[in-house]
Amino acid sequence: MVNAHYVECAVLRACSAPCAFLPNNGYTSAAMTERTGFFSAPPLVAVAGWIVPGAGYLLLGQVARGVTIGVTILFLFIAGVLIGGIRVIDVPGFTSLGEKKIVIKPDPDKLVGPSPREWSLRAHPLQTVFEKPWYVGQVLAGPICLAASYLSVEGAKPENPGAVVSRVPPSHARVWEIGTLYTAVAGMLNLLAIIDSSYRAGRKAT
Amino acid sequence: MITLLGVYHPFLSPLPIWDYWAWLVIPLTLGVSVVYKSIRCSSMSHVPRQAAEISFYIIISMILAAGILTMIVRAISS
Repeated sequence: MVNAHYVECAVLRACSAPCAFLPNNGYTSAAMTERTGFFSAPPLVAVAGWIVPGAGYLLLGQVARGVTIGVTILFLFIAGVLIGGIRVIDVPGFTSLGEKKIVIKPDPDKLVGPSPREWSLRAHPLQTVFEKPWYVGQVLAGPICLAASYLSVEGAKPENPGAVVSRVPPSHARVWEIGTLYTAVAGMLNLLAIIDSSYRAGRKAT
Repeated sequence: MITLLGVYHPFLSPLPIWDYWAWLVIPLTLGVSVVYKSIRCSSMSHVPRQAAEISFYIIISMILAAGILTMIVRAISS
């Protein structure tokens, strides 16, 4: 009787059909439907997952998983921008008026004349990014964050040169915090999805 | 609230939810739960139920934590 059950399950497993006796409650496991080949190479899956959230799973043939994760991550990111406004994307290396943050770079060979000035993101990239660490989470959501960053910097610039008021005012207090939280959490969840899809791709390849 | 919505410009001005911000924890919790359970579950058919369960537990835990912290703050301040 036991042997017959295992034979039956093995046949059903081979046919990729649901089976109530299988340990995964009768549904075929995701690994059975995964694709293999060039498009399932782990680095490609990771890059695709960053460019379009959930696309890594699509390359592996897991459409439902990819669409669910992608739509949810994009929903959270867009919801964050809707809650706090575009200025919740606070780009490192730029001031609150959308100008490049310039730092003086000391040059020991040049003792006379003005010191050379450089964009802070180029002079001290890590230090500049760590001034706004939430951006690290936000940028993991993909190119949608880069587009939002451009719009945020453009919106921060004043309408008239020399003015001190941005075209798009930044949000404050809890609304800003919640908007930042939504967008950063969306990026961190995308990182989780990128790692998982790459791991699945690597496991399948081996 | 309705008056404030009249001056709300999507993506430009912040959402006027100054008195209702705590409710925003619900969509965030649902989003985190759906993505987490989509990654963890072997079958996507299990995701809705398990995501709803974990969302419920997260929200209940946050309410309990908020209650406990409120009591501690009040006890210290009194």
